[in-house]
Amino acid sequence: MPEIMSDTPTRGYTEDQKYQIFNKEFMPHIDSMYNFAFRLTMDEDDANDLVQDTYLKAFRFISSFEQGTNAKAWLFRILKNSFINDYRKKSKEPAKVDYQDVETTYNSEEAEVEHTVDLRAEAVSDLIGDEVATALNSLPVDFRTVIILCDIEGFTYEEMAKILDIPIGTVRSRLHRARNLLKEKLRDYASSMGYNEENEE
Amino acid sequence: MQTSLPISSSSETQPKMKQHCDHQADCLKMIQLILDGEATEQQLEKLKVNLETCQPCIQMYHLEKEIKELLQGRMEKKCCPEKLVATIKARIASFS
Repeated sequence: MPEIMSDTPTRGYTEDQKYQIFNKEFMPHIDSMYNFAFRLTMDEDDANDLVQDTYLKAFRFISSFEQGTNAKAWLFRILKNSFINDYRKKSKEPAKVDYQDVETTYNSEEAEVEHTVDLRAEAVSDLIGDEVATALNSLPVDFRTVIILCDIEGFTYEEMAKILDIPIGTVRSRLHRARNLLKEKLRDYASSMGYNEENEE
Repeated sequence: MQTSLPISSSSETQPKMKQHCDHQADCLKMIQLILDGEATEQQLEKLKVNLETCQPCIQMYHLEKEIKELLQGRMEKKCCPEKLVATIKARIASFS
């Protein structure tokens, strides 16, 4: 289980301590974990499996968790890795746009002209949750993930870097690209609803 | 000292409001850092100035803030089903 072992030395917890850590430090995050799993898989059954796998793994490898440290980030990291290793492989979704492709495209585009999306705050203020969710779900999963972690779960960039095993600079740029993509989707919604149709002044 | 945002200032006594900005992409990145709570003091200071003088910054700031609030507040938060909690607890208990 390399994703969990990481660099921390293992700890010799007694059986009682293990259950205590599990119940007091892991279980309180189960709703956030479920929400994350659901936003990743977009399917309730898959979210169920993913959360269950993650918690069982967390218990089995509890000796590599240091009591009192950031349990939520630790659990999210396991869940994210389980998702990549187990779920994404057997995903029945047709092969979507590959993340690398998207990142490369955006890298090259942004290297030349950094674009901003033409969208006004007033145009999105009337959108409902479902519309936002649909727009978010339409993003490639790596972009979706950073938005979920940052905007929905409120992780810091440093925590996100640990959860995703990427440098902070990459967190920042991926988040920036993800938000530009999201804005494009929201702009499409807003204009289909008749907002954002003002002409140039 | 003006504290509120001069959204539409046409008065001649106001500092001239910039309608166009060549650094929009950089400002956008800075605005996101600020809303994410990851900005430096220096960046915060810069934004304060821009929010009084730069129309594109004002608009970008409001848009980014609005979208962040949409994601935080308006999307359904899925709760873990009770049944799953029970299953996990039962599975863990069987480990000992």
